Amino acid sequence: MKKRALATLMSTVMVVSLIAGCGDSTSGSASSATSTSSQTSSGSDFSGEDPKLTKHMKISTIWAEDNDNGVLINKIAQDYKDNVNPNFTWEYEYIPSADLTTKITTLAGADDLPDMFAYESGKPIVELINAGKIVDIGAELKRIGSSDYVTPSATSLLQTLSGTNTIYDLPLGLNIEGFWYNKALFQQAGISAPPATMDEFEEDLKKLQDAGIQPLVAGGASGETWGSTRVVNAVTVRTLGNDAMKKAAEGQAKYTDQGYVDAAQKVADWAAAGYFGEGINTVTMNAAGQMLMNGQAAIFYNGSWFAGNLNSEDNAAGPDGIGYFNVPVVDASKSGATDYSMNCGNILCLDKTKYDDGTAWFLKYFVEHIGDVAMETEGTVKGYTYKTQASEMSGYTKLVLDEIGKATGAFTWYEATMGAEVSKTAQENVQLLLTGDMNGQQYMESIQEAFDMAD
Amino acid sequence: MRKVLGNKQAIALFVLPAFILYTIVVIAPIVISFYYSFFSGTPGLKWEFVGMKNFLRLFGDSRFLDALIVNLRYIGFVMIGQVGLGLCMALLFRFWLKRFKNLIRTLMFFPVVLPTVAVGQLFAKIYEIQPNYGLLNSLLANIGLRHLVHAWIGEVDTALGSLIVMDIWAAIGFHAVILYGAILDISDDVIEAAAIDGAGSFQLFRHILAPLLRPMIITCLIFSFSGTVKMFESAKALTGGGPGNATKSLSMYMYDVAFNYNKVGYGSVIALFIFLMCIAGSTVIGLFDRKEDL
Repeated sequence: MKKRALATLMSTVMVVSLIAGCGDSTSGSASSATSTSSQTSSGSDFSGEDPKLTKHMKISTIWAEDNDNGVLINKIAQDYKDNVNPNFTWEYEYIPSADLTTKITTLAGADDLPDMFAYESGKPIVELINAGKIVDIGAELKRIGSSDYVTPSATSLLQTLSGTNTIYDLPLGLNIEGFWYNKALFQQAGISAPPATMDEFEEDLKKLQDAGIQPLVAGGASGETWGSTRVVNAVTVRTLGNDAMKKAAEGQAKYTDQGYVDAAQKVADWAAAGYFGEGINTVTMNAAGQMLMNGQAAIFYNGSWFAGNLNSEDNAAGPDGIGYFNVPVVDASKSGATDYSMNCGNILCLDKTKYDDGTAWFLKYFVEHIGDVAMETEGTVKGYTYKTQASEMSGYTKLVLDEIGKATGAFTWYEATMGAEVSKTAQENVQLLLTGDMNGQQYMESIQEAFDMAD
Repeated sequence: MRKVLGNKQAIALFVLPAFILYTIVVIAPIVISFYYSFFSGTPGLKWEFVGMKNFLRLFGDSRFLDALIVNLRYIGFVMIGQVGLGLCMALLFRFWLKRFKNLIRTLMFFPVVLPTVAVGQLFAKIYEIQPNYGLLNSLLANIGLRHLVHAWIGEVDTALGSLIVMDIWAAIGFHAVILYGAILDISDDVIEAAAIDGAGSFQLFRHILAPLLRPMIITCLIFSFSGTVKMFESAKALTGGGPGNATKSLSMYMYDVAFNYNKVGYGSVIALFIFLMCIAGSTVIGLFDRKEDL
C-alpha cells in the first residue's frame, strides 16, 4: 500500500514537473550572453573619430537574419565592423515573436537582458522603464550628438506610447495602418472610389456582398487576432476620438461605455452579416493577405508594412491591383481623415547594465546610418532621417510614403495602452465577438473585467 | 550481494546521487512554486509578498474555472477514446485482421512518432474552411452534406471536439500496440476453452479478456491521464486555446498568467492546483488497481 502511495505521489510529481518545465524553456538560451568592453568612460567625447573600442554585443530580435529588419540590423553591424570598428563583434539571436515578451521579461527578471533587443512599445516597455532595466536612449542620443537623426514624428509617437518626455527605444519603422482593397473587385461591384465615411464604407460592404464577393477579411486565428481588434479599434476611434483607448486605460472612461460597446457591436454585426466570410477565426494574417491579393476578399485591414508583400512576385493582383484607404470617418470633429493609426513597429531597446561607451559608439553609427540603409536596400522608412532615395521605388512604397506625408494626427492600436492581461482578453474574446458567441456589450464587459482584475 | 545491500553506506551511495538529482529537478521546483504562491509580480521586476491573496483569487477567477472545465472534459473524452479505441484496435489485430497485419499496425502507430506541432498543422489543414476548404469540408461538400461544412476549430461548439479527435488519433496506435502485446500474452488455450464452453464474442471479452487485460488497461489509463492532464502543446498547435477560451487548459492558463501576465505567484497557485488534480486523478485510477487485488 505504501509502495502504491509512493508510486502515485511520484507519478503526480513527475507530471507537475513536466508542466512546470513548459514555462522554463525560454530562459536558458541567453544565459551564455556575454558582453565585454575593455574601455568605458562616462565623459567620453563623441564628436570625434570612433575610438575602436573592443566590444561584443548580443542582439536579440524577432526577425531572422535573412528577413526584414534582421537583414538591416546585421548589415549595419557588419558595415560598422568593416568600415569603422574592426574590434566590434556581435551575436545575433532570433526569438519567435510570440515568445518575445515572455523571454524578455524572464531575462529582465534575471538581469540578463541582451545588449540590444527587440521589444513592444506601449504598455510592455513601460514596465521595463519603471523597473529601470533599459537605457534612456533620448538622453544618450543627446550625449552622443545624434538626436537629430530620429525623426520628430517617430520621437513623438514613441514618447506618447511610453508616456514619457524622452525615448527609451529606437524605432524600426514608421507605419500607418488602414484598409487595403482589391481594385478589380471594387470595380466588379460597381464601386468607383474608396469610401471616405463610415456610412459609405458600410454601403460598399453591402454592394460587394450583393455582387457575390467576400467584402472583408482579417486575421482571426488564435495568436493573430490583432488583425481583428484593429478593425474594432478603427471604428472605436473614429466614433469617440483619437484618445478613446487611452482614456479607458487611464480610467477616464470605461470600456463598457456606450461608444465602445457600439463600436464592438458594429464589427459583430458585420460578422453576423457574413462580411468576413466563413470561419474568420481560422484565418491567419498571411492567409488574409493572400486572399486579398488573389481576389478572394475585397478589403483587408493591415499596416503599411504589408506593402512588402504587395511588392513581391506573389502578388496576383499585380503592381497596381491593390489600393489603400484610411479608416473612414464617422465624426471628423473627433477623428479626421488625416488622422492615421500609426506605430513604429517593434522597437529596439538597450540593456542598462551592459550599456557602455562601446555600445554608445555603435548606437551612434546605427542611428546615423539606418535611415539611408533602409531606404537604399528596402525602400522603407524606419523613423530616421535619410538623404538617399530608393533607386527603384515601387508604386506601393510610394503610396505608403504619400499617405504618411498626409498625416496630421495619429492614434494608436487597440491594445497599445492595455496591460498584458487586458490585451490578451481583448484578442482572445474578439473571436467570440466574430462568431456571435458574445455581443458588443459582453465583449467590452470581458475587457473591463480583465482591466479591473489586473493589478 | 546480501552483504552489500545490508550496508547502509552502500545503499546511500546507490540512492543518494539519484535522490539529489530528483530533488533538484523535481521536488525543489515544487517547493519553490509553493513559496512563490505567496508573492505577486515577477521575481526581479516587481515582487511583493501578498499572503493568501493569490489563493483567494482562485475562487473568484472565472477564467480559471473555464480552463478547469475544458481540462476535465478533455481528460475524460481523450482517455476513453485513446484507451477504448486502442483496445478495439488491439482486438481487431488479434481476432479479425488476417492480412496486412504488420502494415496496418505500422500505419496505426505512425502518428505516435509525428511531432505534435506537425500533427496540429496537419489537422488545421484538414479542418480548414478559409481560404479553401480542407479535406473534411471538401468531403462533406462533395457528398451532398454542404450544410455540415463548418469552421471546425473556429467555433466554440466544435473546437474542443476537433482537438479531442486529433489527440485520440495521434495516440491510439500507442495504446493499441501495448494492449495487443498484452492480448498476445493470453494463452490460446484459455481462449479456445472459453469458445468450447460456448462463450460468444462479448462473453469472451467480458469474462476472459477484460480481467486478464486489466493491469495493462490501467497502465494505459495512467499513460493517457499523464498525457492529458498537462494538455498544452496539441491545443497550442491546433487552436491556440481559442476560439476565446474554448480550448484553453489549466496549464495553458497557468502559462499565460505566469509568463504573459507576469504574475508568477498566481501562476504558481494554479500549478499547485494542477498538482492536486494529479493526485486526485492518480488516486481514482488507483482504485481500479485496488479492486484487482481483492
